[in-house]
Amino acid sequence: MTENEIAAGGSPLGKEKSAIKINKVRKVFTRNDEEIEAIKEVNLDIKEGEFVSVVGPSGCGKSTFLHIVGGFIDKTSGEVIVNGKEVNKPGPDRGMMFQESTLYPWLKVDRNVAWGLEVQKLPKKEIKERVEYFLKLVGLWEFKNNLPSELSGGMKQRVSLAKVLAFNPEVLLMDEPFGALDSQTREMMQAELQRIWSESRKSVLFVTHDIEEAVFLSDYVVVLSKRPSTVKEVIKIDLPRPREISIRKSYDFVDYRNKIWDLLHEEQNVKQLRGV
Amino acid sequence: MQNNSKKWFVLTSIGEILFFLLLWQVLSITSWFPTYVSSPVEIFSRIGEMFADGSIYPHVGISLYRTILGFLLVVLIGTVLGMLAGFFKPIGNFFDPLISFFNPIPKIALLPVFLVWFGVTDVTRILIIFTSAFFPCFIATLDGVRNINKLYLWSAENMGASKFKMLWRIILPAALPKIFDGWRVALALTFVMMFSSEMIGTSTGHGLGFMILNADSYGRVDIVLAGVFIIALLGFIFDRLLILLRNRVLWWSER
Ligand SMILES: Nc1ncnc2c1ncn2[C@@H]1O[C@H](COP(=O)(O)OP(=O)(O)O)[C@@H](O)[C@H]1O
Ligand SMILES: [Mg+2]
Repeated sequence: MTENEIAAGGSPLGKEKSAIKINKVRKVFTRNDEEIEAIKEVNLDIKEGEFVSVVGPSGCGKSTFLHIVGGFIDKTSGEVIVNGKEVNKPGPDRGMMFQESTLYPWLKVDRNVAWGLEVQKLPKKEIKERVEYFLKLVGLWEFKNNLPSELSGGMKQRVSLAKVLAFNPEVLLMDEPFGALDSQTREMMQAELQRIWSESRKSVLFVTHDIEEAVFLSDYVVVLSKRPSTVKEVIKIDLPRPREISIRKSYDFVDYRNKIWDLLHEEQNVKQLRGV
Repeated sequence: MQNNSKKWFVLTSIGEILFFLLLWQVLSITSWFPTYVSSPVEIFSRIGEMFADGSIYPHVGISLYRTILGFLLVVLIGTVLGMLAGFFKPIGNFFDPLISFFNPIPKIALLPVFLVWFGVTDVTRILIIFTSAFFPCFIATLDGVRNINKLYLWSAENMGASKFKMLWRIILPAALPKIFDGWRVALALTFVMMFSSEMIGTSTGHGLGFMILNADSYGRVDIVLAGVFIIALLGFIFDRLLILLRNRVLWWSER
């Protein structure tokens, strides 16, 4: 159902090539002989250049799902195909921004951003240029010589964003990247991300618990059920681009927002009824 | 402000030590201490003589040589093996039971075995030092590597880093605070075991441990305590040097 819906909706770019294809992915964790089914079955087909958000009740398996696509953890069954190739290990084609900061505490901010570029053996000059460009973009160029421990949670997330953008992967995987930001900075970062995305035309798989953020940024919003998760619904966001901040007040926007809100709350009510 | 509190700390430390020595001296003079426990004045005048006539230097030299060589071997082998065992699961699984088995053994009990193999040589002495100090270093390193935030590794893998690069550029710095703790315990142990390892005697008649045991057999408690004091002083100096190095290398770490 979900695959067909996305396919039927078509891509806003008119491209039909899949960037990320998820076939019947299931994940069961085993801990102390106890099995925890985190993901029951997820199918998705993300076309090249699409921005797709995933929302769902907390603990439903969103991070787990992203870690599987990133190749960081094994899936129990199913397949993940990125740009035509099946993946089961991490790779530089999929840049991941984790929910928690992964900045190295022993490196200054600029060296953190440069890390992946050094690993990829880019020319020194290009590394320097990219680090400067992206640190300026997230507004933290003055903090280039600071240690991560000297930054606030929100600033760390902005550095992490600069790091993954500077790395320039084909596919971006983002796990609640703006979760720790205050609402004003968050809106600014969302607008920035939209701009960067529309210029670079990257495929983005974006996890968030913020419904408005999902509607504002996405071509499609995937609503997951509670754990063990399945795709409850895929909603195509048919709002014109580029989207201004004021679009949040538009009737269509609010309509989408309410629809997703209802879907999420159905999930939560079921949860409450079962006393989980 | 910070400078002041540091000065204050140094002053109180010196005051503490002086007070303790003074108390000891008074107790000796008033014969509260048995006469065979030398007074601080006696001990320090003995130390002064030993340095003045230069007779202490060969003892200090050979003992430091054994201690430092033992420590460097521990740092090199213990840290590298600990990192490999922490990073590569099969290697870790291989070492885990061995560590549980060998760690509780009092290494000094192996002395007769080493003596048969290597005789009254520095190989025997340094083996005793090494086998004792190896475990705290190895275990601290292993622990440090195993407890690394796995997202650090994932993030490095994500950017295409090789295993070798991860070991060198992520795991080493991330585990280094823990590794330094292990080195510190190991350093103290190398001094302790230096003394024990010199129990086997010597052909040259040198070594602080040997000097102490020898003086003991003649009932010269002042020389015994002078030797103990010199070992303590050397241990103190090297511990401080290690902490200095730590603060240099781990400048980014909060502590
Ligand atoms: N390594 C693990 N071992 C066992 N259970 C796990 C592990 N990681 C996550 N889980 C469980 O899987 C479920 C989904 O977790 P997660 O993907 O982090 O949720 P979300 O990101 O949607 O909040 C949770 O119930 C969590 O407790
Ligand atoms: Mg999560």
